[in-house]
Amino acid sequence: MEILNTSANGQVAETEQGYNVSRRRFFQLAGGIAGAGVVLSACRRTPPSTTYVGSGDIGLLNMLYIVEQVQAGFYIQAAITPYYGMTSSESLCFIDLRDQAIAHREYFKTLLGTNATKPIVLNLSLSTFADRTSTLANAYAIADLAVGGYNGAARLMTSTDYLLTLSKIATVQARRSAYMRDTLTYNSFADASAVDSSGLDLATQPTMVMAGIEQYIQTKFDISKLPSF
Amino acid sequence: MNFKNILSEIEKSDPEVYERLSDRRKALQSFGSKVALAALPLAIGSLFKKAYGRTADANGVINALNLALQMEYLQYNLYHTANSLPDLIPPSSAYPGGDDKAGFITMEAHEKAHILLLNDVITTLGGVPYTPKFYNSTAVNPLYVPTAYDFTMDGRYNAVFNDYPTFLVIAQVLEDTGIHAYQGQMPSLFGNTGVLGQAFQIQSTEGRHAAHVRLIRRQPPINAVEIPAPWINNNIPPLTPLQDYYLGDDNTIQVGGVNIATLPDTYSSTATVPQLSATAAFDEGMDSATILSLIQPFML
Repeated sequence: MEILNTSANGQVAETEQGYNVSRRRFFQLAGGIAGAGVVLSACRRTPPSTTYVGSGDIGLLNMLYIVEQVQAGFYIQAAITPYYGMTSSESLCFIDLRDQAIAHREYFKTLLGTNATKPIVLNLSLSTFADRTSTLANAYAIADLAVGGYNGAARLMTSTDYLLTLSKIATVQARRSAYMRDTLTYNSFADASAVDSSGLDLATQPTMVMAGIEQYIQTKFDISKLPSF
Repeated sequence: MNFKNILSEIEKSDPEVYERLSDRRKALQSFGSKVALAALPLAIGSLFKKAYGRTADANGVINALNLALQMEYLQYNLYHTANSLPDLIPPSSAYPGGDDKAGFITMEAHEKAHILLLNDVITTLGGVPYTPKFYNSTAVNPLYVPTAYDFTMDGRYNAVFNDYPTFLVIAQVLEDTGIHAYQGQMPSLFGNTGVLGQAFQIQSTEGRHAAHVRLIRRQPPINAVEIPAPWINNNIPPLTPLQDYYLGDDNTIQVGGVNIATLPDTYSSTATVPQLSATAAFDEGMDSATILSLIQPFML
């Protein structure tokens, strides 16, 4: 299932398809003038079909912004098409999580301002939203990516203001993952797939976070300048 | 000029100055009568450089980690006692269908691992790791010092180790307080990337614990009256007398001065992020003095 990421006022955001049309037109024009390869190498180092996430702190914030967009889209869909057998308690939690993820998404959008990546197109077909197991398993996989993403970014972020923000959201992501894990398999909230023998939760390289989260996104990203630890 | 007055003036404008300086006594000791008067300005300069320098100073990091260690001991001792009791955590005679023991064994193991890890880090940094009162390094299990703690909170919750719902209240409060403590100490760790990264990883493990305990309380057969979510909605405590443990959790203003409750949310009836979700979306920090006052009732 594909749903479009919507902006704050409910308008459908600019899509990758629209971008591709103009790109094709560019190649048609370019082909008429000279060899396309020459033009391409002269224009940009990376393919123009990818969305650049930036470098340094901005790159890290955009990575988290992208993760939050996926989470928000996921919970929006899960609340619209609840899985069979969703209890009222679970329904209330999903709606709350939807609003929390939207809060995070809009917060990062605000922090990033003009540095925010252009709107992305989600592809949530990995999850069968009518199915409890599929929905919960994907929900916790995404939450674990988020936990690892925040904890990994903490090692790389230079702005102390942003570090404080990361800290305050990271534990909420952990709460979220624990809830989804427990709801799927009771007592798996912090099992060995999440917490190691030193009691340390996930901390993931930004490029690995992006590799994981891209499974839920149609947009392709240029992550070449993302920092690593 | 009276040096004590200077400190007291700074204390008014920055109540946490003594945390930055390790503690008041040490600060004053270093300015005892033996310090030559002429050396004072230089000494004062280095003192405040230590407190307000840009990079995380070793003492600041050690103090932050020792506060965390104190929390970990508290949690480990709670769980070790509870897990040792044959009929407290389900399956039990009161809740024969329950299956909660495995989860608490997991949590106990994590708290123990955190103690060992923090001990190592603090020692590596040249600090002296916190130990509870009555700590005995030659005991069979030196980390377990039940005589140091009063989990009944001076008799207010006498049933903590007899009644599972009461135990869960205390467990939730201490898990959430642990998160508040870590969040509050993060700024002291900002200059030390390795330690900061590990602190993030520890506190998110605590986040998982807190969510788990809260979920147990939310669901049958416990069905806690305030219907806790796995995250902290507003500043709702498990019981009214425990309100202080959640002070500030209803904050909606985050870094950058952004009011989360005014951000657009087309799925909300108000078209902005609901208050409950705006508060739940962020955990909050508490400073050392607050944390110490909150855990005081648990210490003998």
